[in-house]
Amino acid sequence: MRKGTTTQMSEHDPVLEVTGLTVEFPGVRALDDVGFTVARGEVHALVGENGAGKSTLLKVLGGVNTPTAGTVVLDGNPYSPAKPHDALVAGIAVIYQEFTLFPDLTVAENVFVGREPVVAATRGIRYGVMRDECRRVFGMLDWEIDPDARVGDLSVSEQQLVEIAKALSVEGQVIVMDEPTAALSHSEVARLLDVVRRLRDEGRSVIYVSHHLEEVFEIADRATVLRDGKHVATLDIASTTEDELVRHMVGREVSSVFTREPGVPGEVVLGLDGLSAGRILRDVSLDVRAGEVVGIGGVAGAGQTELTEAVYGALAARRGSMTLHCERYAPSSPADALRAGVGFLHEDRKSAGNLPHLTVAQNVTITILDRMRGVARLLSFAKERETYDSYRSRMRIKASSPAQLIGQLSGGNQQKVLLGRALAPGGDLLVLNEPTRGVDIGAKAEIHQLIGELTKSGVAVLMVSSDLPELLGMSDRVVVLSQGRVVGRLDGDERTEENVIACATTGRRIGVAA
Amino acid sequence: MTSPDLTTAPTPPASDPSRPGRRLDFGSFWDTWGITSVLVLLVLVAVATTPDFLAISNLQSILRESAYLGIVACAMTVLIINGAFDLSVGGQLALVSVLTLFAYGVGGTGLAVVTALAAGTACGMVNGFLVTALRVPPFVATLGMLFVFRGIAYLLTQNGPATLPYTEVDSPFAQIGSLNLALVPFPFVLMVVVFGLAYVLLRRTPTGRRIVAFGSSPVAARFSGVSAARIRFVVFALVGLAVGIATLTYITRVWTADGAAQDGFELSVITAAVLGGASLQGGRGSLVGTFSAVLLVTVLNDVLVAHGVDASYQNIILGTVLIIALAIDGLRTRFAGVNLLRRSFGPRTPKAA
Repeated sequence: MRKGTTTQMSEHDPVLEVTGLTVEFPGVRALDDVGFTVARGEVHALVGENGAGKSTLLKVLGGVNTPTAGTVVLDGNPYSPAKPHDALVAGIAVIYQEFTLFPDLTVAENVFVGREPVVAATRGIRYGVMRDECRRVFGMLDWEIDPDARVGDLSVSEQQLVEIAKALSVEGQVIVMDEPTAALSHSEVARLLDVVRRLRDEGRSVIYVSHHLEEVFEIADRATVLRDGKHVATLDIASTTEDELVRHMVGREVSSVFTREPGVPGEVVLGLDGLSAGRILRDVSLDVRAGEVVGIGGVAGAGQTELTEAVYGALAARRGSMTLHCERYAPSSPADALRAGVGFLHEDRKSAGNLPHLTVAQNVTITILDRMRGVARLLSFAKERETYDSYRSRMRIKASSPAQLIGQLSGGNQQKVLLGRALAPGGDLLVLNEPTRGVDIGAKAEIHQLIGELTKSGVAVLMVSSDLPELLGMSDRVVVLSQGRVVGRLDGDERTEENVIACATTGRRIGVAA
Repeated sequence: MTSPDLTTAPTPPASDPSRPGRRLDFGSFWDTWGITSVLVLLVLVAVATTPDFLAISNLQSILRESAYLGIVACAMTVLIINGAFDLSVGGQLALVSVLTLFAYGVGGTGLAVVTALAAGTACGMVNGFLVTALRVPPFVATLGMLFVFRGIAYLLTQNGPATLPYTEVDSPFAQIGSLNLALVPFPFVLMVVVFGLAYVLLRRTPTGRRIVAFGSSPVAARFSGVSAARIRFVVFALVGLAVGIATLTYITRVWTADGAAQDGFELSVITAAVLGGASLQGGRGSLVGTFSAVLLVTVLNDVLVAHGVDASYQNIILGTVLIIALAIDGLRTRFAGVNLLRRSFGPRTPKAA
């Protein structure tokens, strides 16, 4: 391997040793023979792309997932938690990205949930003890939080601290943080990193998962890179660079994904000027031209969803403006967008795409019901059938009949039905969010081909994808978002996986000085 | 789409996807015809045990009696398919009855009919406004309005109930309740027409399709361009209109109304819709089922009365029937689409997606 794969520190005083860890789910190997060690008093970063296996690893440590093979040794003893509570008792506290707090309970009640100190005789909770212990822990963090405050009233960063306090109150040896800064403001991030340093100085170990490499370089001693469930490298932060880390994270040969022939872009179809919407999308400007695919990249939750929903009228723009064919475009609802011919595909097929009680044909025509009227302005089943048949043959939807319920189809075929719904308005702008998420390889290729055909006929496509080969293979231009802002515009040869990841995690291209 | 039944929305996939086309198992049969079969059984029992059951006057009485329940239950089914329900229909019925009788006193049949339809629709629009504009959850909004509507009806009848004087027995208004068209009671004809219109609404109009879509998945419907507020407002208004129509058949039968009229009516209506197969989670409901359930409830009452069964027992029996019907539904959903025994004792197979 490369330099720094092992260091002296881990050999000195390992607190956690992971060897040969493998986790298999039906049909997927989420972790494959992963091994690394965490030293006492070390901040150990864990980095990798979406789907690299970080979350699975954390869940093994937290007692949520059980490994298929491999061992974990904690403080010299074998560690195999059967449930999350075992992990806590053994001294590993995992702080998940989605908090496990109860918003209607107080801070103290949350810190001690499931292990409240009680009076032996009556089983009554000793609130005094809980409050004192809370104050002690928060004192250690040099942070003032009222133990009797309702957790739901706290800010996100304060809630994060409650989670940390929970970990500290069990005298956790290893504290695992999953994307702890994802929801924090700039100053809050600084305070959190300060807390992490304090924990390290007390001799505790911290496993720090983050997409933001600058944080990793600011706080971590070493970093372990995972890719496709495998351990790639463990590097000393002091002797590596952001670029090297990014190369390890990608490291993939250009895959055999369908590559769209770049067309000749026509005139501007959609124009965004300084668009701000929702809680995070800020000041986004971009154009989408006829016959091209503009890809939107970034780590999860960087504002991609808000961008697509704002264009579709499902999220109100707070500032900025949009144009469609050079005319002012300000949809106040999806119905407005549909009238303007904008087609939309939501990323969450199951809860925001499928209409489970409607047939496949009805799922396609729901966006264009007014065009399905026949005799006496009533719905014409013949017209619906005809519309559905045209999309079925065009997208090779496999369904036994137009009257089949959409839930009975495979994921790929459901997606094709929903793509049919997006195409039905018949305009020349398509907004596609994760068009191939959760579909099989065959359907994926067919969907890619369809997008290629559409752009050839002059349709403009705005596509969000967290699948890098797809994003790069399908897009003429890639716009990278980070925390709601455009941090990179990649054209031509700049469209590389390294650049997308570098922009998303550090805000700049690879090889470019900060 | 080619199936002959009026079921607007079949159950979501619980059946075996490898053999779509032929789903002639107990599950799909029960979905569409379950409550109707129970009705047929009950009628057979009634014919066998009750001597006068088949007498024309008795049958007419059953059909006439079922009308006001059926008309409102029909609209309630549409509302439940949309994912909401209306607890205020009993209050609406009392208030609209009182207003209609007042209106008859002032302006005769024409004004009474117009008042019933307008007042009912207005009540529904109030509910719709509360739910869509003020975003009060349907349960709370309609529970509150139940008290308000009844309260107003009580206020208006402080000096004694509103009545239709006996001298008006031959007026066109009184005829609404008593007229027979070729032996079939006019109220029942009205009920059949209402069910027919609801069928056309749900199956053949864009509005109806959007009603079902929103009940099926509010989020997905929103992203398909369905305006939740507009759709829901319309459906609540339709329930009010249905109460207006039902009032015309109800008040011309009982001739009197005050704030206490038809106490508990909302629960009978929801019972009929749920017995008929409507799911309170939305998206699913059957007009055929509701129609049969309304007749089932009325026939059951008729038979029990004929046998001199105490009213308390009638309630117990109705409640039991409701629970048994839903228990069958729950068990059926769990084992749907497969040979129940084979699946229970055979090797475990992965759940179909």
